Amino acid sequence: MDDSSGKMGQAELRKKVLDTELCTGCGACIGLCPYQATYRDQTIQLHQCDLNTGMCYAFCPRTPSDLDSLRKSFFDPLEATPEIGPVRGFYICRAADEGNRSRAQHGGTVTALISLALQEGFIDSAVVSESAEGFRQQSVTISDPAEVGKRGKSKLIVSHTVGEFNRISRGGSGKIGVVATPCQAFALAKMRLKPVEAKDNNIDKLQLVIGLFCGWALDWRKFTELLKNKTNLNEVTGMDIPPGKKTVEIYTKNETISLTGEEIDPCIRPACRYCVDTTAEFSDISVGSARLPESWSETRSWNQLIVRTSRGQKLLDLARRQGILVFREVPEGNLDELKKAAWEKKKLSLRRLIEKSGSEDNLLYLDHRDPVISRLLC
Amino acid sequence: MEQKGLRKDPYNIIITGVGGQGNVLASRMLANMLVRRGFAVTIGETFGGTQRGGAVMSHLRISGTNTWSPQIPKGKADMIVALEPIEAIRLLASFGSADVIVLTNTRPIYPVGVIAGHLSYPSTEEIQSSVRELSGRCRFIDASDQAIKLGNPIFGNIIMIGAVTGMEELPIARDDFREVIVKTLAADKLDVNMKAFDIGVNSVNTQPPGTSL
Amino acid sequence: MSILLEQNQDVPVLLLGNEAIARGALEAGISVASGYPGTPSSEIIESLSRVATERNLYVEWSSNEKVALEVAAAASFAQLRALCAMKQNGVNVASDFLLHLAGSGTRGGLVLVSAEDPGAISSVNEGESRYFAKMIEFPLLEPGDFQEAKDMTKWAFELSEQLRSLVMIRSVTRLSHASGNVRLGRLPENQAKAEFRYGGFILDPLEGLITSAPVVYKHAQQQLKLSKAREIFENSPFNTYTGPEKPELLIISCSTCALYGREAIHLLGLEDRVGLLKLGTTWPLPPNLVRNALSRAERILFIEEVAPFLEENIKVLAAEKATEVGIKIFHGKNDGSIPSVGELNPDIVIAAICTIMGIEYTAMDPQYEKKAQAASFARAPNRELTFCPGCPHRASFWSIHNALQMDNRKGFVCGDIGCYTLALLPCGYSTVKTLHSMGSGTGIASGFGKLGQFGLDQPVLAVCGDSTFFASIVPALTNAVHQRSNITLVILDNSGTAMTGFQPHPGLAVNAMGSQVPKVDIVKLCEAMGAKVELQDPFELEQTRETLNRLMEDPDGVKILVLRQICGLSPEKRAKKKYDMRIDEFLCLGENCGCNRLCTRIFQCPGLVWNKEKGKTLIDEVICAGCGVCASICPQGAIKSEEAA
Repeated sequence: MDDSSGKMGQAELRKKVLDTELCTGCGACIGLCPYQATYRDQTIQLHQCDLNTGMCYAFCPRTPSDLDSLRKSFFDPLEATPEIGPVRGFYICRAADEGNRSRAQHGGTVTALISLALQEGFIDSAVVSESAEGFRQQSVTISDPAEVGKRGKSKLIVSHTVGEFNRISRGGSGKIGVVATPCQAFALAKMRLKPVEAKDNNIDKLQLVIGLFCGWALDWRKFTELLKNKTNLNEVTGMDIPPGKKTVEIYTKNETISLTGEEIDPCIRPACRYCVDTTAEFSDISVGSARLPESWSETRSWNQLIVRTSRGQKLLDLARRQGILVFREVPEGNLDELKKAAWEKKKLSLRRLIEKSGSEDNLLYLDHRDPVISRLLC
Repeated sequence: MEQKGLRKDPYNIIITGVGGQGNVLASRMLANMLVRRGFAVTIGETFGGTQRGGAVMSHLRISGTNTWSPQIPKGKADMIVALEPIEAIRLLASFGSADVIVLTNTRPIYPVGVIAGHLSYPSTEEIQSSVRELSGRCRFIDASDQAIKLGNPIFGNIIMIGAVTGMEELPIARDDFREVIVKTLAADKLDVNMKAFDIGVNSVNTQPPGTSL
Repeated sequence: MSILLEQNQDVPVLLLGNEAIARGALEAGISVASGYPGTPSSEIIESLSRVATERNLYVEWSSNEKVALEVAAAASFAQLRALCAMKQNGVNVASDFLLHLAGSGTRGGLVLVSAEDPGAISSVNEGESRYFAKMIEFPLLEPGDFQEAKDMTKWAFELSEQLRSLVMIRSVTRLSHASGNVRLGRLPENQAKAEFRYGGFILDPLEGLITSAPVVYKHAQQQLKLSKAREIFENSPFNTYTGPEKPELLIISCSTCALYGREAIHLLGLEDRVGLLKLGTTWPLPPNLVRNALSRAERILFIEEVAPFLEENIKVLAAEKATEVGIKIFHGKNDGSIPSVGELNPDIVIAAICTIMGIEYTAMDPQYEKKAQAASFARAPNRELTFCPGCPHRASFWSIHNALQMDNRKGFVCGDIGCYTLALLPCGYSTVKTLHSMGSGTGIASGFGKLGQFGLDQPVLAVCGDSTFFASIVPALTNAVHQRSNITLVILDNSGTAMTGFQPHPGLAVNAMGSQVPKVDIVKLCEAMGAKVELQDPFELEQTRETLNRLMEDPDGVKILVLRQICGLSPEKRAKKKYDMRIDEFLCLGENCGCNRLCTRIFQCPGLVWNKEKGKTLIDEVICAGCGVCASICPQGAIKSEEAA
């Protein structure tokens, strides 16, 4: 799995992940030591560490990973699906409170669940992403349920959430929940396996992962350069990806700007092209934007949600009982369509990995012998 | 001033240490003691950039007649006075010989590479064995430790000058030192400097050659 | 009392070469001395400044070498004797004025001392100023030892007045920073009165105008002066020959190389076979004297540093006088007998003589040498240069390095001359990527900053010190601002000219004579130019790094960040520690993942020592300056600082 030197330290992390454009910016290597830092959405190695093994390499979701043992450690094998990971339940839902919904990206489900989890003591603090000046995204830790709603909107730019987890879990924090992209959820799962000896068991504080569906993220520098020619960055109120065509809509106070596929494509973060997880398979609950027969303006206020673990189920049931979330019937074939789309994305990413490595047997961070991966390769 | 003969002409001494230790001060003092006795002394030194943690050395040429080159030729040091022990070893490779006399302070000043952990510093035994092997006579003097007891590490240089005098290789004596101090420093500093000087003289006379004080 | 004021002429005193030069100037009755700090010349002006009151002198650290020479020239025009001192590259800076000064001539004796650095012990070049004497046409003297350093300097003022020309004295590190016995001369009463006379006939050298025009006429006058010098030099006591009447080998030398020559002859026991001609008047060459010397031997060996100046000039004379002196075999730099780069020493000369004369010489017993080299290799670890403990540059470059890494666009720093030149090395986190002469960092950055047009998207930074700023940054900076060059200039203001010994400069309120003077405010000057200027304490690491990242992202024109914190060696800093530092060993992670010895391995302040046995860092209280900066970098917060009592 590793190169012949057998070393798994910062230098190897650089060679295999940072220099090969595989870095997703998840932040798993940040906050562990003074050698890695994050700036804007880039992962930076500040100084050279000469240790042969380290947490940074072990936690990174893009170093060679054993997906199968992760699946077996945290999920019920009976619930596993090859396309979208373990599915205990599949729902269409949204936040009951309309005010909350309007501040959120789509149905406000994630906001509602996190607030509830904080309120009910499932977790003491939550690591979420928020918008910062100049179109940046940054990760913050909040403990007040009322604060969650302010961070509802998405800007399609990654922030170093796992790095913030690393930082906050060091202190006297209690139980921590994380709103994570698929790669971030994957990193947290790797950390839960405790691959390296650590001085303390900070990962045990992780009690809830809510994953977000994700197709790709944008590179901050390239995207802001593109936008600067079209509008004043300070006037942007939100952005979204309408289903179907590959466009991005930018909402400002006065207008909606539509960016075409040709314009967006060069701004996509390179690492996203090699991702095989669109539904955050390693979470307790995964949430995305619903796909419904109605018009986009109606659909966009609903979420689709996958429950994967018992604690995820517990939280969702509580949300239903307390009327925090409202549900509607799942249309026929909806889950199958989701699985199909996810499967195609996996295939595409694997093709790109093979192109990059030059060999079908070398999938860089994935193992071609993994049961799910090997099926994709047939 | 009367001029008793030198053991050889020129007599070559190198005073070495780390930039900032007072190398220049020590060489000046020793030189002035000899000039007072009527000798022609040449001191070759480098300062400036080398002071930022680098090794420094002063080459002293002592002669009855001539002004010699400020750089001692290879293998021609008669005495090496080291304010820092590994500098003695470093110098012996260029200027040493089987007969050279080495007087060295024992307190290490670690090079930045050692502090940073990518170089290693030899043990006391290793230092002493190399110095003994590569010299005719040697003395290891706890000059810094004694100086700190007197109140300031800079007295280490004075102790080493005392040691040089105590070896009786050069025609200089306690009075020469006293005269130089009286001329260059304030009167209230005289006693402590003389004390340091005497510690140096005793350090080379009371111990059998090649052992530490 | 300074040794320079010693009146007793009976007993020789030990003087630094630079002190001997200063003493010579005092014995000549100078009134004015000016210069710019530069190793190995600085002690000349420093020692004169310390006796300025007693000797009724005006001594100035000028803002740069060109201005220094102009200041000294003014004194000469007013009939006073003046000395100007600088290092070899300073002469390059002064050279345009030097060219015109040689044309205009002088009145009161004017001596320019160039103290050079063969082998670049304290420079980033090993340039030569001797060629200026030949090219610009004025007399050049090179003292060969300490007595000559004094005597020659004194005599140079007489020569200068005889010829009404400036005279250059060229010294080297091995003379300027070496010491030797000097017999002193008389110190005159200084009664000189300044008056600038210009009312006579315009071409009158003492009563007319002082200009280098009419050029062709004045040029011809210069050459007449040189002819006169030639005659005087024929009988100069500074040119000496020692050795047999007809040696097998004649060594021709100058400067301290003559001492190496003498030592080599002595060690090889060749006093009866090898002669040594030491020249002190090396431009113009006295033709008869040289001809007579050349006639003594068939084989000639030239020993000099660094360029073959004497060698080539004497070969020209030899060619011109070939019928008188005969055919010669020349050895020196041109035939490889002497290395053409670096400084010389007695061993190099010995090797040359041995090769030429077919003699064997062993400097060191081979077995001893082998043992000693092995011991040195194994037991004498190298001493790399580093910033002093408490140095603000360490903190500044830490922030600059981190900001560049985080910016992640392959930004770089154009370096300049001062202590911060060391940022080429790991002690400055290898941040500096170009290095040339004083002020060139900003000039080069000004050029890089306009290459965006050709696709250069790397952030461009330049650094300079406060003293360097006044010496040569201003014209380059004005250019960068005016041309709207996209650069960030970091001015490292540590309130002094630190590398050369902490001399004052125009940014400080005190001058060379210790008088209170107006200071030129760097921030205001930069603002007046129209640059965007910010001021920061480099010891505030995170704030400094954030500011740098913000400035680097601004694509419009010149941004200046002044990092102001006083030098660790300044008298006020050294007197007292601000903080007492200690390590909490329980918190220290040492070599483990999560730290891997960041403080000792990467930050590398000499006050932080790695204890291998304990596996922890500790503070060396003797070396630690108590600046407190390291407390901000420990990821565990294990470095504690407490305000010192």
